[in-house]
Amino acid sequence: MVRFPYSLLWSTAVWTVACTTARTDQPPTAAGAVAVAVSDSPGCFGTSTFRDSWIKVGERICLKCHVSGGDATDSKFRLRDVFRVAAAERAATVTQNCDAFTRMALAREADGRSRLIVKATGGLDHGGGEVLPAGSTELRVLQEFVESLKRKSPESHAGGSVDADDLTSFFDGVDMLSHQRLLRRVSLSLVARLPNDSERQAVQSHGLNALEAVLTTMMKEDAFYQRLQEGFNDIFLTLGYNGNGEAVLSYNHFHQTRHWYQKHSLDHLPENERQRARYKLADQYREALRREPLELLRYIVEQNRPFSEILTADYTMVSPYTARGYGIFEELQGQFQDPDDPFDYIPAKLTALKHRDGSIQPTDDGHYPHCGVLSMFQYLRRYPTTETNRNRLRARMYYQHFLGVDIMSLAPRVSDAAAIDAAYEVPTLQAAECVVCHRTIDPVAGLFQDYYNEDGHYGPRKDGWFTDMFGAGREGLDLPEAQRWRSLQWLAEQTVTDPRFAIAMAEHVYYILMGRNVVRPPTDIDDVAFAARRRACLAQRELIEHAAKAFTDSDFNLKVIFQQLIVSSFYRADGVSAARLDPQRMAELDDVGVVRLLSPEQIERKIAAVFGESWGRLDKSYAILYGGIDSREVTERLTEPSGAVGALQRILANDVACRHVAADFALPPDERRLFPGIQPDVVPGTSDAAAEKKIRGAIVHLHQKILGRYDSPADPEVDQTYRLFTGIVEEANSEGKFQPVESYFCKSSGQEGPRDPDSHYTMRAWRAVVTYLLRQPDFLYE
Amino acid sequence: MRRDFLKWCASAGLGLAVPTFHGTAPAFDDGDDVGAYDGPFYVVCNASGGWDTTYLMDPKGVDGINRLYQQGDILTHGELHFAPTAEHISEGMSNEDFFTKYAPELLVLNGLDYSVNNHAPCSRYVATGHLDSPAYPTFAALVAACRGPACPLAFLTFGNYSATGNLVPMARVPYIPSLKLLANADSVQGIDRHSYHDVFVSDHIDRALAEQRQRRKLQPVLPRRQRAESMLYAAQLNSKSLARITPHIPKSIPKDSLSQQAEIALASFKAGVCVSANLTIGQFDSHQKNDEDQMRLLPRFLSSIDYLLRRAEDLQIREKLILVIQSEMARTPTYNKGNGKDHWSVGSMMFLGPGIQGNRAVGSTDKGQLPVPVNAQTLALDPENGLRIRPEHIHTALRQLADIDEHPFSQQFAFKLKDTEVLRGFWA
Repeated sequence: MVRFPYSLLWSTAVWTVACTTARTDQPPTAAGAVAVAVSDSPGCFGTSTFRDSWIKVGERICLKCHVSGGDATDSKFRLRDVFRVAAAERAATVTQNCDAFTRMALAREADGRSRLIVKATGGLDHGGGEVLPAGSTELRVLQEFVESLKRKSPESHAGGSVDADDLTSFFDGVDMLSHQRLLRRVSLSLVARLPNDSERQAVQSHGLNALEAVLTTMMKEDAFYQRLQEGFNDIFLTLGYNGNGEAVLSYNHFHQTRHWYQKHSLDHLPENERQRARYKLADQYREALRREPLELLRYIVEQNRPFSEILTADYTMVSPYTARGYGIFEELQGQFQDPDDPFDYIPAKLTALKHRDGSIQPTDDGHYPHCGVLSMFQYLRRYPTTETNRNRLRARMYYQHFLGVDIMSLAPRVSDAAAIDAAYEVPTLQAAECVVCHRTIDPVAGLFQDYYNEDGHYGPRKDGWFTDMFGAGREGLDLPEAQRWRSLQWLAEQTVTDPRFAIAMAEHVYYILMGRNVVRPPTDIDDVAFAARRRACLAQRELIEHAAKAFTDSDFNLKVIFQQLIVSSFYRADGVSAARLDPQRMAELDDVGVVRLLSPEQIERKIAAVFGESWGRLDKSYAILYGGIDSREVTERLTEPSGAVGALQRILANDVACRHVAADFALPPDERRLFPGIQPDVVPGTSDAAAEKKIRGAIVHLHQKILGRYDSPADPEVDQTYRLFTGIVEEANSEGKFQPVESYFCKSSGQEGPRDPDSHYTMRAWRAVVTYLLRQPDFLYE
Repeated sequence: MRRDFLKWCASAGLGLAVPTFHGTAPAFDDGDDVGAYDGPFYVVCNASGGWDTTYLMDPKGVDGINRLYQQGDILTHGELHFAPTAEHISEGMSNEDFFTKYAPELLVLNGLDYSVNNHAPCSRYVATGHLDSPAYPTFAALVAACRGPACPLAFLTFGNYSATGNLVPMARVPYIPSLKLLANADSVQGIDRHSYHDVFVSDHIDRALAEQRQRRKLQPVLPRRQRAESMLYAAQLNSKSLARITPHIPKSIPKDSLSQQAEIALASFKAGVCVSANLTIGQFDSHQKNDEDQMRLLPRFLSSIDYLLRRAEDLQIREKLILVIQSEMARTPTYNKGNGKDHWSVGSMMFLGPGIQGNRAVGSTDKGQLPVPVNAQTLALDPENGLRIRPEHIHTALRQLADIDEHPFSQQFAFKLKDTEVLRGFWA
């Protein structure tokens, strides 16, 4: 029988918990080491085969239970999680595990078989049953370890050491981004602009040392908070709750105020404008409501408050419009900077909710028990419940969002789910195979019991909470009755002291910066690159843990995680010095470096930063086509370009170049973004060195502006662009049949103006150059 | 219009490009010339949320499993049994009509054991054949990667679980009008006669990008960058073949979502730019008012499948179309207090297309809707010693049907079944 509910969560274990933060149920000794049952130790002498056994079997399987706090904690076969000890202790810990493995392997049963093998295959009343099926690779690996010990003697190998996953050389041979290019990447990523002169100079003079101050300044800009909100919406998806914005406000509690815009006086407007104004009012009100959870995030970070307040804030965020929906505008209006601004948010507390039947939400302090995002109506509505789901979706999302645990990825295969359903009256409470997970999920689901309404609103279940579920609580701790009215606040308090919370937040920031989740531990032990992938995963894990520790040490300052990750080698990695990497090294470096396909929103912002205005088509109609999300049905961004995305990139490049090239040339040179140093009358010629120099200079400028490349005029990339420009001009002029004006559709003066002169075909050639550059990975990827 | 660039590509050994992906080396690289993909085409139709198989291809009518009919009402067409629905539906296609029309082509699998009964793991399991690993690709993605990696819309998805295993990009084309735009990317507003650039200029741009790609391929770069540059180049270059879609874009747009998805997929198949498509409609999760919901959704679902097949007939690709009809789970044999049915881990699938012998039902469930094991060699029911058919068995068979079971990508995501677990003669 499988029986590791909580250790199951921790056992992803190996990978999800801060190595430097000991769990309360696993106290270290004074020396920092957990006692290992050692007696008559033959020592760790099968070091070479042990490593394979450890990473493919011990770490992945045995450690789930045979660890302090695990289900087999009383067993003599005690192991330690290598990645939950300080790096300095890692080697000793591995050796201790090797000792334990060796003793078990050498212990013989009456039939001569190794106890290690007998137990793993379910013999000797092994508590975990058969964990290694006959014929499995895992069993073969373990058998090889046992066999290898027969061929060696303890004496001859005493003091042998085991590779303890030394990661110090992980980035050897990896080239890092230049400081200037790093600055551009960060600037575009976080604040959607190009670096300014002072930032460039600071980084030029002081390198990475200047970056912290630059980042600190950037992370005060409005654009950073927009990026932050966009990133966290990718994770929480709260913008995507069902229905109109005001659907989060229940009829039972806000029936008199939630539709305030319908009766709001617009008498100051001419009558024929009122309907339109009312539509606008409604739209802005709905958007303002929808944005509230993200505004809470912004407020916390902007005010340098502990980011743990996303779970513990005893307030919510309201704007003048949403405050009207809650019916608290009158009491707050003096606090708004602009009471007419629908998006001027301030923190506020709601009083205990009053039902239209007169009943009041029971509380000890008269206030709605706010606990950050967790208690916000938008979050609850985004993840609603049903009579059969019983808040389990919310429990699942809680684990995913705030502890970084994907419950569903842990769902173990059961031998016969349907038979279990048929055999037990309440399988989730009675069948061991269901209890494994439900013992963890259902108590948390029970903490949401006062929010039992299919629309996501507040309201306890009429028949009382289910008695055929595990009672409300969290991971073995029951909810005290006195905390019942504030159960989510109780949950939040438990959560922010859990080391997994900091890890989860570091992983969220990693997702925002890198555009992908942290890699998962490899599972296919038959993969020839298994060890390499594991090492890569560990290296990344070390980064996350480092950032999480800094986050915790800074009293949960989220900006610290950004700082930590941005200066990390994972973020700065840009190339390799070796001409050819062997397959193992390729596997190790597989996920290194940002290299992300920019999202539709990022592309628009980048176009605005480079060209002065956004394109405006990826924000709206083409967002999904380009791989964006709608936070409701489409919730995962595309990370790889299909042909559809490729076609859109061609459209984008064609259209943006069309809009900006002639328009830029029409400006005085010192006002131009694209062509400050050249005129359309500079024509390439075989004997005109001055012209070539000017053209190459213009190309260098375009490469820097559009691609963020700092090329010399003789760079092969500049050569390529130069050949493109000159080739077009030469071919056009050799034919001699072109119109001496730029395209009607690409006029500098808009639709009504005349077409721009282009007697040498250079303007069109420059437009082709810009099109070409906009189609390149240096522009479309980060 | 065939442009000079394509001629230049051919002379330079630069045909359509196949992106380099994670893991196993690609089947092709930039130098291979791959034309229009001519089939077979694969469509996975997904009833998202969990359909009630006892109201479709696995009828019971006993022990209160179904309130709308009794065991004696069960209908038969050839070897297939199905629930009567004609009297209970107000729109869409009844089972009677569907099985009358398609039973001769349909292979029904009953008694599929999903092992678990939650949406997320079940969706992953039925789509990929692997319960525990989010890394595994869906069958639709895998077959697209193996069969037509250079197709610009090789793997189209409209929802449902769509993991690609990093083998092929997934393409989302949510609206039919989007096709016209994509087909004419070098023209202002998609209007063919208004090109942004003169033709020779476009050729120059493409040639410069091709030369740059060739040069950069030789430079040492991080693996992610190598993949990204390959994928980007392939996506843009191959997107030019989307121009072939134009004549196949439907002039009228059907009302229901699944039929719209079908139109986009069919136009893409016909143009030779797509290998597989995930079509999906939702709301089957009938925890309340099961019979009302299922009688509303199943007929719509069948009607859309019928629409897909009829339109495939119109486009003359029907004989190349392989359909996998599935849901991530089934519904319990009992009703709950809300007249709904909850999740059930034993379900059914249906298949249709070339290479599939119809008018057959493999597997079964007993009167309690529990799976009856099957002899993998004979496909006969074998309650004592048979095999519980699970998604990995079906996906192994699907890979065989598509003749991709030996492909390196399939090997990369193998199921490691024992020989005795491989279903023999499943398709014919």
